[in-house]
Amino acid sequence: MSASDLWSIVPELWLAGLAIFLLLVDLLTARKSLVGVVAVMGLLLSIIPIGSLLTQGARTVIFGSYAVDGFAVFFKILTVIATALVVLAAIDWLPGRSQYEGEFYALLVFTALGLVLMAASTDIILLALSIEFVSLTSYVLAGYLKGDVKSNEAGVKYFLYGAAASAVMLFGFSILYGLTGSTNLYEIARRVANAPLPALYLSIALMLSGFGFKISMVPFHQWTPDVYEGAPTPVAAYLSVASKAAGFAALVRMLMVVVDPGRLNWILLIAVLSAVSMTLGNLLALPQRNIKRMLAYSSISHAGFLLIGVAAFRGDFGTPGLLIYLLGYMFTQLGAFFVAALIGQQLGTDDIPDYAGLSRRAPVSALLMAVFMLSLTGFPPTSVFIGKFYVLAGAIDNGLLWLAIVGVVNSVISLYYYAGVIRAMYVMPAASTVPLREPAALQVALGIAGLGTLLIGLYPQPIIDLARSAVLLLRI
Amino acid sequence: MPPNVVVDWLYVGVFAIVGTIMAALPLAVVWLLAPRADLPQKTLTYESGVIPFGQAWAQFNVRYYLFALIFVVFDVEVIYLYPWAVVFRRLSAFAFVEMLIFVLILLVGLAYAWRKGALEWV
Repeated sequence: MSASDLWSIVPELWLAGLAIFLLLVDLLTARKSLVGVVAVMGLLLSIIPIGSLLTQGARTVIFGSYAVDGFAVFFKILTVIATALVVLAAIDWLPGRSQYEGEFYALLVFTALGLVLMAASTDIILLALSIEFVSLTSYVLAGYLKGDVKSNEAGVKYFLYGAAASAVMLFGFSILYGLTGSTNLYEIARRVANAPLPALYLSIALMLSGFGFKISMVPFHQWTPDVYEGAPTPVAAYLSVASKAAGFAALVRMLMVVVDPGRLNWILLIAVLSAVSMTLGNLLALPQRNIKRMLAYSSISHAGFLLIGVAAFRGDFGTPGLLIYLLGYMFTQLGAFFVAALIGQQLGTDDIPDYAGLSRRAPVSALLMAVFMLSLTGFPPTSVFIGKFYVLAGAIDNGLLWLAIVGVVNSVISLYYYAGVIRAMYVMPAASTVPLREPAALQVALGIAGLGTLLIGLYPQPIIDLARSAVLLLRI
Repeated sequence: MPPNVVVDWLYVGVFAIVGTIMAALPLAVVWLLAPRADLPQKTLTYESGVIPFGQAWAQFNVRYYLFALIFVVFDVEVIYLYPWAVVFRRLSAFAFVEMLIFVLILLVGLAYAWRKGALEWV
């Protein structure tokens, strides 16, 4: 390990230092919102070292175990933005709910560090460790509200499900190591050609359970609605966006680097899982009344859409589409959860019928929520539309026309439950006309989420260029 | 499969069988030979000779777990400090700085626990 290696992991060192610094700030100040503000500033400053990596070529550092490439940089930027937005939202949401406010922000930054590591690991041991790192902090965050039974339930369920999924995934890793005698992804890719096919199939299937858990793909999705419903709303937002994105990063890196689809046809496997996730997530979202459960099932269905981008990896649309989709979905999904957090805080309810008359009581938030719902459906000119357009184009480009048709049909189905929220806000008569208080930091986070959703939808070219260059650098 | 691999696996098989017998045999012998007296006192909870009273579902303090957690800080520190100290002369300044940072991180944990009152016996 050389000094230049150390220079390449400055963003990670910065995040680690920031999280520890936040713990110290928490000890020294009684004003806990200050810890959150420091966290946001530190996260925004980390963009500078991350951006400086863009000018360097793709390579691996620290004995080949860690990738410094455009793909990793893309996920670093995504993670940092998502974390900063979630911290901003939590500054207004958390006080009065937990007596441990400062630690909350520190834990979020620690999670961000784990997610960044996950997206860039090129060694299965480092990958397993970073996935465990993310899981451990996420379990704590999901069960953060000690006095709240639902939050406790979320924490325990997430822990039990996650521990089992991790164990199965590690078993898959161990088989891969046994077949090739190496833990390095590129080394494995070179040696895997001689491995017996059934063992390779078993290994990939077992590994998919771990990745599938992180991205809430059917059939590893059962934890999602319960955890999202019980977890603190900002945490649910974070899990559905940042954790999912890092899971996709690890999955794509693993599949594209290690397994040649000509030898082991994982494309069909992923395509079928994608279709099942989209359809099942959508159908289960239809009868939901709780906004967080609805968003949870919709996030399962979006995992299906994102998997189209994994399956359709050949050509110019699939993998860049996945990245564009993830970035656009991040802004939209975070925004939707932030509105849910706002309503949950002001009205003490997460039920969609209670959103009645929101257009009068909180006009700005209601308008933004309508934008987010339309974006999640995939209406132009919003960010998720661009993502959907790209992955569906990728599916057609890769000869997966049936998958594209399933995707389009599912988009239409999803309109029903997304429009239900808009209907409640704009059409249903309100129980009360008292205007809702809209706290400042949460409002800023909401505004940025709305701006991101619309900007990517209206002027996607910079993001498309970024995603294209990120994919080019993936294979070193 | 080469023959020496078969022999190796034979060892494993013999070891597994003998191991199982070793574990099961004493239990079987005791079950067969030991005298049995099913007195009602034998089903009582053992309380160091004192006759038990009340229910076991009483609440009691779990203060010790905090101390156990803080102990982990020092435990982890020692695990890494010993091997580091043994080969210290052959290490570069880089390793020295590395260990300093490691100890510093653990110290933050200790400071955190201290400030949050985890060391108070309340």
